[in-house]
Amino acid sequence: MKFLTPLAAIGIALLTPAAFAHDEHLLETAPPEAPYVQVSDVLPLPEFLPGLGTLFVDPGTLPAGPFLAYDHDGKLSATVYMTPLQALEDGTAFDGLAIGSHTVSSVDIYYNAGHPGVAEPHAHVVLFHDADAKARLAQ
Amino acid sequence: MRLTRREALLVGGGALATLAGPALAQSIQVERIEMRGTARGERIWFSPRGIAIPAGTTLRFVNSDPGNSHTATAYHPDLFGRYSRIPTAATPWDSGFLLPDESFDVTLTVPGVYDYYCIPHEMAGMAGRIVVGRPGDPGWEAASADTEDPAPEALAALPSVERILTEGRIERG
Repeated sequence: MKFLTPLAAIGIALLTPAAFAHDEHLLETAPPEAPYVQVSDVLPLPEFLPGLGTLFVDPGTLPAGPFLAYDHDGKLSATVYMTPLQALEDGTAFDGLAIGSHTVSSVDIYYNAGHPGVAEPHAHVVLFHDADAKARLAQ
Repeated sequence: MRLTRREALLVGGGALATLAGPALAQSIQVERIEMRGTARGERIWFSPRGIAIPAGTTLRFVNSDPGNSHTATAYHPDLFGRYSRIPTAATPWDSGFLLPDESFDVTLTVPGVYDYYCIPHEMAGMAGRIVVGRPGDPGWEAASADTEDPAPEALAALPSVERILTEGRIERG
């Protein structure tokens, strides 16, 4: 990139597809920049949720997310989506969702009966970003 | 009605205890109702979900679910416009959201049947029933017959008054 003129670099940046528009390195460490907010700051939930860690979300993406899940050391460990079952049954699709990191080591999908923020029964889709992430988010 | 440390004695018990000193305070019966859930939140419930108590008993709602917050909220028009499912003379209560290990106290003095629910989990059937005293007690008011207002899942979770009076405490399922 250092061989390009600044104007050419801007032009290339503008042509970059939206899926790669975010710099995932900016999300590696908590807290991520606005518009992300810490879930426990805006909803009556514990700061660290066993199994999910400390969650951040862009309110404009609710209910599906992505929710960025950080461990106790502030390392991005998982990206979580919350998809209401009734919405899925009614034909709603949650397409093209962003991810916190392009590295995914494993995925868990399970049912959740509801909680503040997503009160209706929904599925948690959890993309872990390294092999130890699940253990770090457990407690 | 949320007080410091989220512990409130809403219907006179607290005032009586304060005025009468430690001896009377120690004589007030306290029953514990826990808010519980599975680790991943697949199931959540009150434990017990049905309980029979004498009038004047204090109920302590305790959030024992490390991964969720819960409320204990009476069905009442003053609280989110719900149909009343507590005795007419009773005072409704709403614990507000309790984080893990937080608690909320309420003292029930009016005989009859009280139904309550958890605000974010009513659709998941997190509801409970309290029977204060017995039918025939002065002022006794039976369970609400309404079946339109509560979420069907919550209604299904409420044990019958007869079963609660027979068994005293009814746990999940």
